[in-house]
Amino acid sequence: MMNAVSPEKPMPFPPVSASRSSVAVWPWPIALGLLTTFGLLSALLGQHGIWLALSWAALSIPLIVTVACLIRAWRRTPSFKGGQS
Amino acid sequence: MTTRTLRRWFVVHKWTSLVCTLFLLTVCVTGLPLLFSEQIWDIFVGDDDPPYEVLPPGTPNASLDVIVEKARALYPGQIITNVNPDDDEPAVLVSMAPSWQALKDDETYPDRHSGHWIKFDARTAKVLEQSRPADAPREPRTWTGIIMSTCNRLHTSLFAGLPGRLFLGLMGGVFVASLISGTVLYGRFMKRLPFGSVRRDRASRLTWLDLHNLLGAATLVWATVVGFTGLVNELQTPLFGLWRVTDVRQILKPYANLPVPLQDHLSSVQTAFDTAARAAPGNEVTGLSFPGASFGSPVHYVLWTRGATPLRARLFTPVLVDARTGELTGAYPMPWYLRFLEISRPLHFGDYGGMPLRILWALLDVVVIGVLVSGLVLWAGKRKIATDARLRALGYDLDDTDGVPALAERA
Repeated sequence: MMNAVSPEKPMPFPPVSASRSSVAVWPWPIALGLLTTFGLLSALLGQHGIWLALSWAALSIPLIVTVACLIRAWRRTPSFKGGQS
Repeated sequence: MTTRTLRRWFVVHKWTSLVCTLFLLTVCVTGLPLLFSEQIWDIFVGDDDPPYEVLPPGTPNASLDVIVEKARALYPGQIITNVNPDDDEPAVLVSMAPSWQALKDDETYPDRHSGHWIKFDARTAKVLEQSRPADAPREPRTWTGIIMSTCNRLHTSLFAGLPGRLFLGLMGGVFVASLISGTVLYGRFMKRLPFGSVRRDRASRLTWLDLHNLLGAATLVWATVVGFTGLVNELQTPLFGLWRVTDVRQILKPYANLPVPLQDHLSSVQTAFDTAARAAPGNEVTGLSFPGASFGSPVHYVLWTRGATPLRARLFTPVLVDARTGELTGAYPMPWYLRFLEISRPLHFGDYGGMPLRILWALLDVVVIGVLVSGLVLWAGKRKIATDARLRALGYDLDDTDGVPALAERA
Protein backbone atom coordinates (compact mmCIF):
# COMPACT_ATOMS: atom_id res chain seq x y z
CA MET A 1 0.00 0.00 0.00
CA MET A 2 2.73 2.35 0.92
CA ASN A 3 4.56 1.50 -2.29
CA ALA A 4 1.53 2.69 -4.18
CA VAL A 5 2.41 6.25 -3.27
CA SER A 6 3.07 8.08 -6.48
CA PRO A 7 6.78 8.64 -6.96
CA GLU A 8 6.70 12.25 -8.09
CA LYS A 9 5.90 13.55 -4.61
CA PRO A 10 8.66 12.96 -2.09
CA MET A 11 7.10 11.14 0.81
CA PRO A 12 8.47 12.00 4.20
CA PHE A 13 8.29 8.39 5.22
CA PRO A 14 10.68 5.61 4.39
CA PRO A 15 9.32 2.89 2.15
CA VAL A 16 10.18 -0.21 4.13
CA SER A 17 11.29 -3.44 2.60
CA ALA A 18 8.41 -5.81 1.97
CA SER A 19 10.31 -8.69 3.51
CA ARG A 20 9.77 -7.34 7.05
CA SER A 21 6.56 -8.55 8.55
CA SER A 22 4.21 -6.12 10.22
CA VAL A 23 4.40 -5.67 13.96
CA ALA A 24 1.77 -4.64 16.47
CA VAL A 25 1.90 -0.86 16.53
CA TRP A 26 -0.21 0.06 19.52
CA PRO A 27 0.62 -2.06 22.60
CA TRP A 28 3.58 0.11 23.68
CA PRO A 29 2.05 3.54 23.09
CA ILE A 30 -1.20 2.43 24.76
CA ALA A 31 0.64 1.00 27.74
CA LEU A 32 2.69 4.19 28.15
CA GLY A 33 -0.46 6.28 27.72
CA LEU A 34 -2.32 4.34 30.38
CA LEU A 35 0.64 4.61 32.76
CA THR A 36 0.75 8.38 32.18
CA THR A 37 -2.99 8.69 32.79
CA PHE A 38 -2.72 6.64 35.96
CA GLY A 39 0.24 8.71 37.14
CA LEU A 40 -1.51 12.01 36.50
CA LEU A 41 -4.68 10.94 38.31
CA SER A 42 -3.29 8.93 41.22
CA ALA A 43 -1.45 11.94 42.67
CA LEU A 44 -4.44 14.20 42.04
CA LEU A 45 -7.06 11.91 43.56
CA GLY A 46 -4.98 9.95 46.04
CA GLN A 47 -2.84 12.74 47.49
CA HIS A 48 -1.16 10.54 50.05
CA GLY A 49 1.96 8.44 50.48
CA ILE A 50 1.42 5.38 48.36
CA TRP A 51 -0.59 7.14 45.66
CA LEU A 52 2.06 9.82 45.29
CA ALA A 53 4.80 7.20 45.03
CA LEU A 54 2.77 5.24 42.45
CA SER A 55 2.26 8.45 40.50
CA TRP A 56 6.00 9.18 40.41
CA ALA A 57 6.72 5.60 39.37
CA ALA A 58 4.06 5.55 36.66
CA LEU A 59 5.17 8.87 35.15
CA SER A 60 8.83 7.83 35.21
CA ILE A 61 8.25 4.76 33.08
CA PRO A 62 7.66 6.55 29.74
CA LEU A 63 10.88 8.51 30.36
CA ILE A 64 12.84 5.39 31.30
CA VAL A 65 11.54 3.54 28.23
CA THR A 66 12.55 6.47 26.02
CA VAL A 67 16.05 6.63 27.45
CA ALA A 68 16.41 2.83 27.20
CA CYS A 69 15.43 2.91 23.51
CA LEU A 70 17.90 5.71 22.82
CA ILE A 71 20.74 3.96 24.62
CA ARG A 72 19.99 0.72 22.76
CA ALA A 73 19.99 2.49 19.41
CA TRP A 74 23.21 4.35 20.06
CA ARG A 75 25.01 1.25 21.37
CA ARG A 76 23.94 -1.20 18.72
CA THR A 77 24.39 0.63 15.48
CA PRO A 78 27.30 2.81 14.68
CA SER A 79 26.15 5.77 12.65
CA PHE A 80 26.75 5.83 8.91
CA LYS A 81 25.09 9.08 8.27
CA GLY A 82 24.46 9.80 4.64
CA GLY A 83 24.68 6.14 3.62
CA GLN A 84 22.27 4.74 1.08
CA SER A 85 19.24 3.07 2.56
CA MET B 1 -6.44 3.85 4.86
CA THR B 2 -6.04 5.05 1.32
CA THR B 3 -3.02 6.97 0.18
CA ARG B 4 -5.21 9.99 -0.31
CA THR B 5 -6.50 9.95 3.29
CA LEU B 6 -3.00 9.41 4.52
CA ARG B 7 -1.74 12.37 2.56
CA ARG B 8 -4.53 14.50 4.00
CA TRP B 9 -3.56 13.51 7.53
CA PHE B 10 0.01 14.35 6.68
CA VAL B 11 -0.98 17.80 5.44
CA VAL B 12 -3.02 18.37 8.62
CA HIS B 13 -0.08 17.29 10.78
CA LYS B 14 2.39 19.42 8.85
CA TRP B 15 0.37 22.61 8.96
CA THR B 16 -1.02 22.35 12.49
CA SER B 17 2.51 21.64 13.72
CA LEU B 18 4.08 24.45 11.73
CA VAL B 19 1.53 26.93 12.99
CA CYS B 20 2.05 26.15 16.66
CA THR B 21 5.67 24.95 16.93
CA LEU B 22 7.29 28.34 17.53
CA PHE B 23 4.78 29.24 20.24
CA LEU B 24 4.91 25.77 21.76
CA LEU B 25 8.70 26.01 21.97
CA THR B 26 8.36 29.38 23.73
CA VAL B 27 5.82 27.97 26.15
CA CYS B 28 7.84 24.80 26.84
CA VAL B 29 11.07 26.71 27.50
CA THR B 30 9.51 29.45 29.67
CA GLY B 31 7.47 26.84 31.54
CA LEU B 32 10.62 25.21 32.94
CA PRO B 33 11.64 28.04 35.32
CA LEU B 34 7.99 28.64 36.20
CA LEU B 35 7.72 25.04 37.44
CA PHE B 36 10.37 25.77 40.05
CA SER B 37 9.54 29.42 40.71
CA GLU B 38 9.09 28.95 44.48
CA GLN B 39 12.51 27.33 44.79
CA ILE B 40 14.12 29.92 42.50
CA TRP B 41 12.74 32.78 44.59
CA ASP B 42 13.88 31.13 47.79
CA ILE B 43 17.39 30.55 46.52
CA PHE B 44 18.10 33.80 44.70
CA VAL B 45 15.99 36.34 46.55
CA GLY B 46 15.17 34.76 49.87
CA ASP B 47 12.75 35.94 52.47
CA ASP B 48 13.81 39.02 54.43
CA ASP B 49 10.62 39.19 56.50
CA PRO B 50 11.16 39.35 60.26
CA PRO B 51 10.70 35.96 61.94
CA TYR B 52 7.43 35.20 63.68
CA GLU B 53 7.20 35.50 67.42
CA VAL B 54 7.50 32.09 69.05
CA LEU B 55 4.31 31.39 70.97
CA PRO B 56 3.20 28.22 72.73
CA PRO B 57 1.52 25.83 70.27
CA GLY B 58 -2.24 26.12 70.26
CA THR B 59 -2.23 29.88 70.91
CA PRO B 60 -5.60 31.00 69.54
CA ASN B 61 -5.79 33.59 66.78
CA ALA B 62 -6.83 37.13 67.62
CA SER B 63 -10.31 38.13 66.52
CA LEU B 64 -10.30 39.55 63.02
CA ASP B 65 -12.38 42.43 64.35
CA VAL B 66 -9.43 43.51 66.54
CA ILE B 67 -7.13 43.41 63.50
CA VAL B 68 -9.61 45.37 61.38
CA GLU B 69 -9.94 48.01 64.13
CA LYS B 70 -6.16 48.36 64.36
CA ALA B 71 -5.91 48.82 60.60
CA ARG B 72 -8.61 51.52 60.70
CA ALA B 73 -6.83 53.27 63.56
CA LEU B 74 -3.61 53.33 61.53
CA TYR B 75 -5.29 54.94 58.53
CA PRO B 76 -8.34 56.83 59.76
CA GLY B 77 -10.66 57.92 56.97
CA GLN B 78 -9.48 55.17 54.63
CA ILE B 79 -11.46 52.09 53.65
CA ILE B 80 -10.56 48.44 54.03
CA THR B 81 -10.92 46.48 50.79
CA ASN B 82 -9.86 42.92 51.70
CA VAL B 83 -8.97 40.78 54.69
CA ASN B 84 -6.93 37.68 53.82
CA PRO B 85 -5.58 35.21 56.38
CA ASP B 86 -2.37 33.64 55.04
CA ASP B 87 -2.48 30.00 53.85
CA ASP B 88 0.51 28.66 55.68
CA GLU B 89 1.83 31.42 57.91
CA PRO B 90 0.20 32.87 61.05
CA ALA B 91 -0.45 36.19 59.33
CA VAL B 92 -3.42 38.25 58.16
CA LEU B 93 -3.12 40.65 55.26
CA VAL B 94 -5.41 43.70 55.37
CA SER B 95 -5.69 45.69 52.12
CA MET B 96 -6.72 49.34 52.28
CA ALA B 97 -7.27 52.31 49.98
CA PRO B 98 -8.31 55.96 50.29
CA SER B 99 -11.67 55.09 48.70
CA TRP B 100 -13.29 52.72 46.18
CA GLN B 101 -13.30 55.59 43.71
CA ALA B 102 -9.53 56.04 44.11
CA LEU B 103 -9.03 52.36 43.24
CA LYS B 104 -11.26 52.72 40.22
CA ASP B 105 -9.29 55.77 39.08
CA ASP B 106 -6.07 53.75 39.30
CA GLU B 107 -7.20 51.78 36.29
CA THR B 108 -7.00 54.89 34.11
CA TYR B 109 -3.58 55.93 35.50
CA PRO B 110 -1.22 52.97 35.30
CA ASP B 111 1.43 54.74 37.46
CA ARG B 112 -0.91 55.31 40.36
CA HIS B 113 -1.31 52.70 43.08
CA SER B 114 -3.54 54.01 45.80
CA GLY B 115 -4.11 50.56 47.36
CA HIS B 116 -1.74 49.36 50.09
CA TRP B 117 -1.56 46.57 52.66
CA ILE B 118 -0.68 45.85 56.26
CA LYS B 119 0.47 42.44 57.47
CA PHE B 120 -0.57 41.47 61.00
CA ASP B 121 0.47 38.57 63.19
CA ALA B 122 -2.72 36.49 63.29
CA ARG B 123 -2.22 35.57 66.95
CA THR B 124 -1.01 38.81 68.57
CA ALA B 125 -2.60 41.27 66.09
CA LYS B 126 0.73 43.13 65.95
CA VAL B 127 1.76 44.87 62.73
CA LEU B 128 4.51 42.82 61.06
CA GLU B 129 5.04 44.65 57.82
CA GLN B 130 3.52 47.25 55.52
CA SER B 131 3.60 47.77 51.79
CA ARG B 132 5.95 50.45 50.53
CA PRO B 133 4.29 53.85 50.44
CA ALA B 134 3.21 54.87 46.97
CA ASP B 135 5.54 57.90 46.94
CA ALA B 136 8.65 55.96 48.06
CA PRO B 137 11.31 55.32 45.44
CA ARG B 138 10.65 52.04 43.68
CA GLU B 139 12.56 49.04 44.85
CA PRO B 140 15.31 48.11 42.39
CA ARG B 141 14.29 45.04 40.42
CA THR B 142 16.32 41.90 40.87
CA TRP B 143 17.50 39.80 37.95
CA THR B 144 15.44 36.94 39.29
CA GLY B 145 12.37 39.16 39.24
CA ILE B 146 13.01 40.33 35.70
CA ILE B 147 13.66 36.84 34.35
CA MET B 148 10.72 35.23 36.14
CA SER B 149 8.24 37.91 35.14
CA THR B 150 9.46 37.78 31.53
CA CYS B 151 8.99 34.00 31.51
CA ASN B 152 5.60 34.31 33.12
CA ARG B 153 4.28 36.88 30.68
CA LEU B 154 5.73 35.09 27.65
CA HIS B 155 4.24 31.83 28.89
CA THR B 156 0.73 33.12 29.55
CA SER B 157 0.17 35.98 27.13
CA LEU B 158 3.24 36.70 24.94
CA PHE B 159 3.22 40.19 26.54
CA ALA B 160 -0.08 40.86 24.79
CA GLY B 161 -2.66 40.73 27.57
CA LEU B 162 -6.02 39.17 26.89
CA PRO B 163 -5.56 38.90 23.09
CA GLY B 164 -2.25 37.14 23.76
CA ARG B 165 -3.95 34.72 26.15
CA LEU B 166 -6.68 33.88 23.68
CA PHE B 167 -4.12 33.50 20.91
CA LEU B 168 -2.04 31.09 23.00
CA GLY B 169 -5.25 29.23 23.85
CA LEU B 170 -5.90 28.86 20.13
CA MET B 171 -2.34 27.59 19.69
CA GLY B 172 -3.07 25.02 22.41
CA GLY B 173 -6.04 23.84 20.34
CA VAL B 174 -3.91 23.64 17.20
CA PHE B 175 -1.31 21.69 19.18
CA VAL B 176 -3.93 19.13 20.22
CA ALA B 177 -4.98 18.79 16.54
CA SER B 178 -1.34 18.25 15.61
CA LEU B 179 -1.02 15.54 18.28
CA ILE B 180 -4.10 13.74 16.97
CA SER B 181 -2.96 13.83 13.35
CA GLY B 182 0.51 12.82 14.47
CA THR B 183 -0.94 9.78 16.23
CA VAL B 184 -2.76 8.72 13.05
CA LEU B 185 0.47 8.99 11.04
CA TYR B 186 2.37 7.11 13.72
CA GLY B 187 -0.07 4.21 13.45
CA ARG B 188 0.40 4.07 9.71
CA PHE B 189 4.16 4.29 9.55
CA MET B 190 5.19 2.17 12.48
CA LYS B 191 3.50 -0.88 10.95
CA ARG B 192 6.74 -2.66 10.14
CA LEU B 193 8.98 -1.13 12.72
CA PRO B 194 9.15 -2.39 16.30
CA PHE B 195 8.38 0.21 18.95
CA GLY B 196 11.28 2.38 19.92
CA SER B 197 13.63 1.50 17.07
CA VAL B 198 15.88 4.36 16.08
CA ARG B 199 17.60 3.57 12.80
CA ARG B 200 21.04 5.10 12.81
CA ASP B 201 22.66 3.14 10.00
CA ARG B 202 20.74 4.89 7.25
CA ALA B 203 20.00 8.44 6.21
CA SER B 204 20.10 10.85 9.14
CA ARG B 205 16.59 11.89 8.15
CA LEU B 206 15.37 8.46 9.24
CA THR B 207 17.12 8.86 12.59
CA TRP B 208 15.27 12.14 13.12
CA LEU B 209 11.97 10.58 12.03
CA ASP B 210 12.41 7.65 14.40
CA LEU B 211 13.36 10.01 17.22
CA HIS B 212 10.29 12.13 16.51
CA ASN B 213 8.09 9.03 16.63
CA LEU B 214 9.65 7.60 19.78
CA LEU B 215 9.65 10.83 21.80
CA GLY B 216 6.17 11.70 20.55
CA ALA B 217 4.67 8.30 21.40
CA ALA B 218 6.22 8.31 24.88
CA THR B 219 4.84 11.74 25.81
CA LEU B 220 1.61 11.73 23.78
CA VAL B 221 -0.83 11.58 26.70
CA TRP B 222 1.12 13.99 28.89
CA ALA B 223 1.45 16.53 26.06
CA THR B 224 -2.27 16.22 25.25
CA VAL B 225 -3.28 16.74 28.88
CA VAL B 226 -0.93 19.69 29.49
CA GLY B 227 -1.75 21.23 26.10
CA PHE B 228 -5.49 20.94 26.58
CA THR B 229 -5.47 22.17 30.20
CA GLY B 230 -3.28 25.06 29.05
CA LEU B 231 -5.94 25.93 26.50
CA VAL B 232 -8.63 25.81 29.21
CA ASN B 233 -6.50 28.06 31.46
CA GLU B 234 -6.18 30.68 28.76
CA LEU B 235 -9.97 30.87 28.62
CA GLN B 236 -10.28 31.89 32.26
CA THR B 237 -10.94 35.58 31.63
CA PRO B 238 -13.90 35.02 29.27
CA LEU B 239 -15.22 32.18 31.45
CA PHE B 240 -15.17 34.28 34.63
CA GLY B 241 -16.68 37.13 32.62
CA LEU B 242 -19.48 34.84 31.47
CA TRP B 243 -20.19 33.87 35.08
CA ARG B 244 -20.27 37.51 36.14
CA VAL B 245 -22.78 38.57 33.50
CA THR B 246 -25.04 35.55 34.08
CA ASP B 247 -25.28 33.97 37.55
CA VAL B 248 -23.51 36.67 39.54
CA ARG B 249 -25.57 39.45 38.02
CA GLN B 250 -28.73 37.49 38.77
CA ILE B 251 -27.76 36.96 42.40
CA LEU B 252 -26.80 40.60 42.95
CA LYS B 253 -29.72 42.11 41.07
CA PRO B 254 -31.88 42.94 44.13
CA TYR B 255 -28.97 44.86 45.71
CA ALA B 256 -27.41 46.49 42.65
CA ASN B 257 -28.73 49.99 43.25
CA LEU B 258 -28.26 50.22 47.01
CA PRO B 259 -25.69 52.72 48.35
CA VAL B 260 -22.47 51.41 49.92
CA PRO B 261 -22.84 51.83 53.72
CA LEU B 262 -20.07 53.54 55.71
CA GLN B 263 -17.52 51.03 56.96
CA ASP B 264 -17.83 51.86 60.66
CA HIS B 265 -21.46 50.75 60.61
CA LEU B 266 -20.81 47.25 59.27
CA SER B 267 -21.33 43.98 61.09
CA SER B 268 -18.44 41.93 62.54
CA VAL B 269 -15.82 40.61 60.12
CA GLN B 270 -14.98 37.70 62.41
CA THR B 271 -18.64 36.66 62.54
CA ALA B 272 -18.82 36.85 58.75
CA PHE B 273 -15.85 34.43 58.53
CA ASP B 274 -17.56 32.04 60.96
CA THR B 275 -20.88 32.26 59.12
CA ALA B 276 -19.15 31.52 55.79
CA ALA B 277 -17.33 28.51 57.25
CA ARG B 278 -20.70 27.08 58.35
CA ALA B 279 -22.33 27.88 54.99
CA ALA B 280 -19.68 26.00 52.99
CA PRO B 281 -18.91 22.88 55.03
CA GLY B 282 -15.68 21.15 54.05
CA ASN B 283 -14.27 24.40 52.73
CA GLU B 284 -11.82 26.82 54.28
CA VAL B 285 -12.38 30.58 54.14
CA THR B 286 -9.47 32.26 52.38
CA GLY B 287 -10.51 35.87 52.31
CA LEU B 288 -13.14 38.56 52.55
CA SER B 289 -13.91 41.55 50.34
CA PHE B 290 -15.72 44.55 51.76
CA PRO B 291 -19.01 45.84 50.31
CA GLY B 292 -18.41 48.04 47.28
CA ALA B 293 -15.68 45.97 45.59
CA SER B 294 -16.00 46.11 41.81
CA PHE B 295 -17.11 42.48 41.42
CA GLY B 296 -19.34 42.30 44.50
CA SER B 297 -22.46 43.75 46.00
CA PRO B 298 -22.71 47.20 47.63
CA VAL B 299 -24.04 45.74 50.87
CA HIS B 300 -22.41 42.30 51.22
CA TYR B 301 -19.18 40.88 52.45
CA VAL B 302 -17.97 38.47 49.77
CA LEU B 303 -16.14 35.58 51.40
CA TRP B 304 -14.02 33.28 49.29
CA THR B 305 -13.96 29.68 50.42
CA ARG B 306 -12.21 26.77 48.81
CA GLY B 307 -12.09 23.01 49.09
CA ALA B 308 -9.79 21.65 51.77
CA THR B 309 -8.48 18.68 49.74
CA PRO B 310 -5.89 19.26 47.01
CA LEU B 311 -8.29 18.10 44.29
CA ARG B 312 -10.84 20.67 45.41
CA ALA B 313 -8.33 23.28 46.57
CA ARG B 314 -9.00 25.44 43.54
CA LEU B 315 -12.76 25.03 43.66
CA PHE B 316 -13.88 28.34 45.07
CA THR B 317 -17.33 28.86 46.50
CA PRO B 318 -18.14 32.50 47.20
CA VAL B 319 -20.40 33.17 50.18
CA LEU B 320 -22.40 36.37 50.59
CA VAL B 321 -22.97 37.72 54.09
CA ASP B 322 -25.11 40.83 54.47
CA ALA B 323 -22.73 43.40 55.96
CA ARG B 324 -25.57 45.45 57.45
CA THR B 325 -27.06 42.64 59.51
CA GLY B 326 -24.37 39.94 59.54
CA GLU B 327 -26.84 37.42 58.17
CA LEU B 328 -26.04 34.76 55.57
CA THR B 329 -27.44 35.51 52.12
CA GLY B 330 -26.13 32.37 50.44
CA ALA B 331 -23.27 30.20 49.18
CA TYR B 332 -22.87 30.02 45.42
CA PRO B 333 -20.90 27.10 43.98
CA MET B 334 -19.31 27.91 40.64
CA PRO B 335 -20.94 26.77 37.40
CA TRP B 336 -19.68 23.61 35.72
CA TYR B 337 -17.37 25.42 33.27
CA LEU B 338 -15.48 27.17 36.04
CA ARG B 339 -15.28 23.96 38.06
CA PHE B 340 -13.81 22.29 34.99
CA LEU B 341 -11.33 25.16 34.65
CA GLU B 342 -10.27 24.91 38.28
CA ILE B 343 -9.93 21.12 38.22
CA SER B 344 -7.81 21.33 35.08
CA ARG B 345 -5.33 23.77 36.63
CA PRO B 346 -3.25 21.35 38.70
CA LEU B 347 -3.00 19.08 35.65
CA HIS B 348 -1.35 21.95 33.80
CA PHE B 349 0.93 23.17 36.60
CA GLY B 350 2.09 19.78 37.91
CA ASP B 351 2.14 21.24 41.40
CA TYR B 352 0.12 18.60 43.20
CA GLY B 353 2.58 15.81 43.82
CA GLY B 354 5.63 17.22 45.53
CA MET B 355 9.07 17.91 44.13
CA PRO B 356 9.40 14.54 42.31
CA LEU B 357 6.30 15.34 40.26
CA ARG B 358 7.71 18.76 39.34
CA ILE B 359 10.96 17.15 38.23
CA LEU B 360 9.06 14.58 36.13
CA TRP B 361 7.03 17.47 34.66
CA ALA B 362 10.28 19.21 33.70
CA LEU B 363 11.74 16.05 32.13
CA LEU B 364 8.56 15.36 30.14
CA ASP B 365 8.65 18.99 29.04
CA VAL B 366 12.21 18.55 27.80
CA VAL B 367 11.16 15.44 25.83
CA VAL B 368 8.33 17.45 24.23
CA ILE B 369 10.90 20.10 23.25
CA GLY B 370 12.74 17.19 21.58
CA VAL B 371 9.58 16.27 19.65
CA LEU B 372 9.17 19.88 18.47
CA VAL B 373 12.80 20.25 17.44
CA SER B 374 12.92 16.91 15.59
CA GLY B 375 9.70 17.85 13.83
CA LEU B 376 11.26 21.14 12.73
CA VAL B 377 14.39 19.33 11.51
CA LEU B 378 12.23 16.92 9.46
CA TRP B 379 10.28 19.78 7.93
CA ALA B 380 13.40 21.82 7.15
CA GLY B 381 15.07 18.73 5.66
CA LYS B 382 12.11 18.01 3.46
CA ARG B 383 12.04 21.58 2.23
CA LYS B 384 15.65 21.18 1.24
CA ILE B 385 14.86 17.96 -0.61
CA ALA B 386 12.04 19.63 -2.48
CA THR B 387 14.23 22.61 -3.35
CA ASP B 388 17.06 20.35 -4.52
CA ALA B 389 14.65 18.36 -6.68
CA ARG B 390 13.36 21.52 -8.27
CA LEU B 391 16.86 22.82 -8.91
CA ARG B 392 17.78 19.50 -10.48
CA ALA B 393 14.75 19.65 -12.68
CA LEU B 394 16.04 23.01 -13.88
CA GLY B 395 19.33 21.40 -14.80
CA TYR B 396 21.53 22.39 -11.87
CA ASP B 397 24.15 19.91 -10.82
CA LEU B 398 24.16 19.42 -7.06
CA ASP B 399 26.69 17.53 -4.97
CA ASP B 400 25.15 14.99 -2.67
CA THR B 401 27.68 15.31 0.07
CA ASP B 402 25.38 16.24 2.90
CA GLY B 403 23.15 14.20 5.11
CA VAL B 404 20.00 13.81 3.05
CA PRO B 405 20.85 12.44 -0.38
CA ALA B 406 19.09 9.11 -0.12
CA LEU B 407 15.58 10.47 -0.07
CA ALA B 408 16.39 13.19 -2.55
CA GLU B 409 17.40 10.49 -5.00
CA ARG B 410 14.16 8.71 -4.45
CA ALA B 411 12.22 11.89 -5.00
